[in-house]
Amino acid sequence: MHTPIPSLASIHWAVPPSTLQRPAIRVLPPLVADQIAAGEVVERPASVVKELLENALDAGATRIEVELAQGGIELIRITDDGAGIPPDELPLALAAHATSKLRDAEELARIGTLGFRGEALASITSVARVRIRSVAPGHEPSEIEGAGDQRSAVRPAAVARGTSIEVRTLFFNTPARRRFLRTPATEQTRCMEVVRDLALAHPAVALRALCDGRETLDLRAEQGPRARALAILGRELEDNLVEVHADEQHDARGVSLWGLVGTPAVARSNARAQRVFVNGRAVRDPSIQHALREAYRGLIEPGRYPTAVLMIDLPPDGVDVNVHPAKAEVRFRDQGMVHSLVLNTVREALRRADLTPTLAHRTGARPAIFGPGDGPTDTASDAQSFADYFRRDLPASTGGRFDYQAVRDALDRVLTMGSKVEPAGDASDERERPDPASPEAAPATPASQLEALPRRDHLQVHQSYVVAQDDDGVVIVDQHALHERAMFEALHARITAGPLESQSLLTPAVVDTSSERVTRLEELTPLLERLGIDAAALSPSTVGVRAFPTLLFSRGVDPIDFMSELLDRADADAFVPDSEEALREVLDMMACKAAVKAGDRLTDAEIGALLELRGSVERSTSCPHGRPTSVRLTLADLERLFERR
Amino acid sequence: MRVVCDRAALLEAVNLVSGVVASRTPRPQLTCVRLDATSEDGVGTLVLSGTDAETSMRLAVDRVDVERAGEALVPADKLRQIIQAEDHESTLTLEADGDSCQVLGTDARFRVLGYPASDFPAIGDFKSAVKGSAESAPARAVFTHNAGDLSELIARTIFATARENSRYAINGVLLHKDGKKVEMVATDGKRLALARSALAAPGAGDGPVKCIVPTKALQHLQKLLGDDEEPVRLAVGENRITFAIGASEDGEDPRALLSSTLVEGAFPPYQDVIPKDQDKSITFDRDLLFSAVKRAALLTNEESRGVRLEFDSAGKKLRLSSRAPEMGEANVEIELKEYKGDGVEIGFNPGFITEALKVINQPEIVMELKDSMKPGLIRSGPDFTYVVMPVNLQ
Repeated sequence: MHTPIPSLASIHWAVPPSTLQRPAIRVLPPLVADQIAAGEVVERPASVVKELLENALDAGATRIEVELAQGGIELIRITDDGAGIPPDELPLALAAHATSKLRDAEELARIGTLGFRGEALASITSVARVRIRSVAPGHEPSEIEGAGDQRSAVRPAAVARGTSIEVRTLFFNTPARRRFLRTPATEQTRCMEVVRDLALAHPAVALRALCDGRETLDLRAEQGPRARALAILGRELEDNLVEVHADEQHDARGVSLWGLVGTPAVARSNARAQRVFVNGRAVRDPSIQHALREAYRGLIEPGRYPTAVLMIDLPPDGVDVNVHPAKAEVRFRDQGMVHSLVLNTVREALRRADLTPTLAHRTGARPAIFGPGDGPTDTASDAQSFADYFRRDLPASTGGRFDYQAVRDALDRVLTMGSKVEPAGDASDERERPDPASPEAAPATPASQLEALPRRDHLQVHQSYVVAQDDDGVVIVDQHALHERAMFEALHARITAGPLESQSLLTPAVVDTSSERVTRLEELTPLLERLGIDAAALSPSTVGVRAFPTLLFSRGVDPIDFMSELLDRADADAFVPDSEEALREVLDMMACKAAVKAGDRLTDAEIGALLELRGSVERSTSCPHGRPTSVRLTLADLERLFERR
Repeated sequence: MRVVCDRAALLEAVNLVSGVVASRTPRPQLTCVRLDATSEDGVGTLVLSGTDAETSMRLAVDRVDVERAGEALVPADKLRQIIQAEDHESTLTLEADGDSCQVLGTDARFRVLGYPASDFPAIGDFKSAVKGSAESAPARAVFTHNAGDLSELIARTIFATARENSRYAINGVLLHKDGKKVEMVATDGKRLALARSALAAPGAGDGPVKCIVPTKALQHLQKLLGDDEEPVRLAVGENRITFAIGASEDGEDPRALLSSTLVEGAFPPYQDVIPKDQDKSITFDRDLLFSAVKRAALLTNEESRGVRLEFDSAGKKLRLSSRAPEMGEANVEIELKEYKGDGVEIGFNPGFITEALKVINQPEIVMELKDSMKPGLIRSGPDFTYVVMPVNLQ
């Protein structure tokens, strides 16, 4: 039963020749071309706000007002006191690739203005109803209107200063795009993000924003960057911000960095609270985000993002801003230098800062447990909500809710301890039980217990936390987290000097595992060698540990348990055996297992040594997983708790 | 029950028995010590018993005067604290009535609430351990050793058991009895100690017997052992071992009785890990080596625990050194009595060496080595062999 094979020719001609006719290539009508260009630049009201604000700033404005109606979907009006546009240039303002900011291609290499491509207004006009009213010195105030490809004549108008641009009914002629807009509230939020970004980058310019007639932002002119940043982030956040700057170290290369970075307590679950400006332009730069993440490594949990406002200034020829239609991405000539500048500056600032979270910081400026505050001053202001935006969604593990009752219970026990003599042997665990048969180890007499108490300036509660005092108040230390951090840093320093010391075993410790994991053992070997682990496959599904770090042995870590967990982790796709991440992950695992655990009773000497680590160990405020190692109740917190003020 | 006791003797006995009573248990009776006072032909005896269901102890108290026989079940902790606190008394009187027990001094009277003595689980005697009972089969082996040799066997091995509970380590000492030979072996996976001694008589039972005795039980046993010549009867059962201390040949009326469940599982094939092809042999003065290792260990810490031993065969010298980052280093050099073989360099955990040297009685020891990655061997006569795995120094 043969199916006749059609000849090549018959296949070729199976399609009737007539259908092969193709549309001719034509130049797009200007409106369509502008609308396509608008698709790249004008995505939503926020992009219009951004373009217009940049124009205003480029025009040298010192005072800008932004008005939005319906989140900018219905109206965006930007009024500035800048240079203004003469009447004869108004029609050009609405034409594509017309700009006053750039004359030739050579200038593109050193763009000092925010806008430069000359397509913004044309693009916006192609999808919205635009009216420009402007007055340039020595000219008559005048206006022009445009909508789609329609342009009005230039008419006289009543304008006192600068320029006012109105953009109404965005996407009136592209209903498909209009349908893609979000709710007015969402669009308003995005617009205000843009406004704030530009306000952060231009602290000298006064900025006022009205949303549906309500004032949401009012920033005075001539602020310094710090004052401006705090005015926007919320002054209450000040204690949780660390200032970073680096002019001097890198001024030879003409780069300066200034910023405010949040303590780990205000880290967030996404990168949106990272505001990075390059030459006054808000950008998203993966390498800077990476540098920030690295700087906070170990201080915050993986999956959380530090909050930061960073201003990077470098000569115009050090950065290419013409790589993204919305100019949201830039390309650095020396990316590595910028990366290391951010990383080193932020890391150093964090190292110097006291990152111990306090009760107030952990719960927001005015935690509910303190009852209602002094009454709302500017609670409705957008600055407040922006500040809230930084504080929202604190991780469950680090609180957000501070367990006040637990602290009070702990303090109660501190206060009552002197009067209570615990029967010996009751609370101590099996291991530390005094050997009853030897007279020396007989239980402490009540007299000696009482003697020991008053001299202590720290206390272990529930064999898990250490309570101590410092100059600012009460510090509560998570004994495991702090010790783990210290062990991690020590191991990390130790391992860079050479492999860990390892103890050989008489007979291999046998780990039962899967054959897949056994096959991965080989690529793990260099990592294991650094750790002082000598392991080899004994059979297709067993691994024998022949040597194991002395440190882990002395900490009672079982080689079989450790090795099977390590093989489990190495089985994860993200685990690259020869990477720094893998090394850190395994060291972290070691530190966690070797550190004292919650529930371990510590002697006074051990507690003293542990507390000393707070001062001596880098990044001691967080465990390697990024959870805090200690929290602080400041004297001010205590005064509030006791209603002394 | 009413018994007048010498306070010191009572305290010692209560301390020993308290060691085995359970500290945390849902059965409060197991946190108690049982007191049994008997009087026969004018000779009074007070026997204390304690158990945590795994280890049990019965101990006769010296220097007592039983005025009225009877029994009591008293919380061990309280009893011990009271006797301890009454340190100005030379004698104390124990008086029990029903569920409570009174401790009477000259100026103090304590009434401690306990439980009916019948609530206490029965502790089998040596005879039932030998003959078997409703719950257990007859003993696999019954033999007698003297307290001195037994104590030395324990001391020479118990230090090498694992200190922590883990899946890898064995928390017990192997007891291997074959004819008149008895061996004890302990290991924590990093070193292994083997001690031997000879019995006066092979005892009863067929063929060799091996069992793993929990470390804890041996620690209790060591404290119960007194006079070196005192006989100790051992009965090794299916899952229990029983020691009768100071008993007659048939195990009757021992001064103290200790019984413990055995550790289940197989002991590593220890004969295989004792190296047989060492090609370097060094004879040491025990005390000199001990002192050198101890001094070299002064500059070790948790992360750099090892001490480096560099044997110079030509100069018959040993250089010991340690180095801890951020702490410093130590160097000690000693002369060697005798060195056979080439020079070698090897690292050891210093504690593993000194702990072994402490249990050696002879003034001379022999260390045998092969290379820096291979186990080291320490011998003291035919009765003590110690294998120690090296530390890989960096």
